[in-house]
Amino acid sequence: MEEKAIFQGGIQLLTKTDNHDNTMHELSLAQNLIDQLLQLSKQHDAKTVTKVTVMIGPFSGIVVESFAFGFKALKQDHQPITGAQLILETPAPEYICLDCKTINTGDTRTADGHPKAVYETINDKICSACGSNRLSPNGGAELILKQLEME
Amino acid sequence: MCDVCGCQLHDHHHSDSRIVEVNQSLLEANQKQAASNKTHIEKMGAIAINLISSPGSGKTTLLERTIDELGDSVKIGVIEGDIETERDADRIRAKGVPAVQLTTGGACHLDAPMVHGGLHVLEHLGKGTKFDIIFIENVGNLVCPASFDLGEHRRAILLSVPEGSDKPVKYPTTFKGADLFMITKIDLYQHFDFDPEEAKSEALKIQPDLDILSLSATTGEGFDQWIAYLKNLLNK
Repeated sequence: MEEKAIFQGGIQLLTKTDNHDNTMHELSLAQNLIDQLLQLSKQHDAKTVTKVTVMIGPFSGIVVESFAFGFKALKQDHQPITGAQLILETPAPEYICLDCKTINTGDTRTADGHPKAVYETINDKICSACGSNRLSPNGGAELILKQLEME
Repeated sequence: MCDVCGCQLHDHHHSDSRIVEVNQSLLEANQKQAASNKTHIEKMGAIAINLISSPGSGKTTLLERTIDELGDSVKIGVIEGDIETERDADRIRAKGVPAVQLTTGGACHLDAPMVHGGLHVLEHLGKGTKFDIIFIENVGNLVCPASFDLGEHRRAILLSVPEGSDKPVKYPTTFKGADLFMITKIDLYQHFDFDPEEAKSEALKIQPDLDILSLSATTGEGFDQWIAYLKNLLNK
């Protein structure tokens, strides 16, 4: 019986999953943010969350605009955070030179405010120290909830 | 001292506003589950390989031939991720290997909690016997699966010749998180403008520790290297 229960439980889990019907991964991640905010506001006995700071690494594979859009859409359903302002920190990409190990810093954004294709710059650039074109992304895969302001 | 304005005068409040430093990854829930999956996989006696690629690059065909070539000496289990249908799992089952189909119903990637469910079902299908390798075939997508650790021991990216050799540059985040890069369908080299050197050198710039294999699951060319790679992993 025990075994059967596990098996059926497993199948049930697999057919349709409540939390995973977000078709865009930015939306799933925005939902994670909302879950954490609700938990933290409860934990700190706060009425509302006013400001949220999130850092999105340049090599995280997360589209900043889609994440912001997802948050804006999803927060409407949760009273304590409907007024929360989202501040996104997007640090500049860093590239390590595979030949001399120097860390080179790239540009964060283009002039029109859209995210730059950060990897493409690997091919435009050479190492500032030794001139090698073998630059590799360094770190930058994070998605971190840094700080929140509550009342 | 006041935390908000830094003044030394008195311990006052700026309205009721409070700032809390969190500094926590939003992927933490997934990462915790992935770590527990890894322990679970090891308790099942196995190592797991997460296969990521675009749809149609030959993940299931690779597994079919792998099952044939490894034979009974290696106990294989497969977790298949797809948006819909049991088709891939049925292809694996036809080879006599236990397979669990995870249908995401729309989600573009597998995440660690879904794989956790899959591992329990696989364990049940294995009827208590140990596994050697568990292959997790991710949803066909070269973008989203890269952000979700499943608890795998190795992450392999497949890129088939018809897709073009510019893919490592175009999907760098995916290649950055990989351990193994497999160029598949190499029997089609003559029909396509695929530059293997471009694909390899760009992938190695993004991830210098990447292992690279080239093979065809149809003709078997280069397949011995893949089998050797797996046997080497099992002996570690």
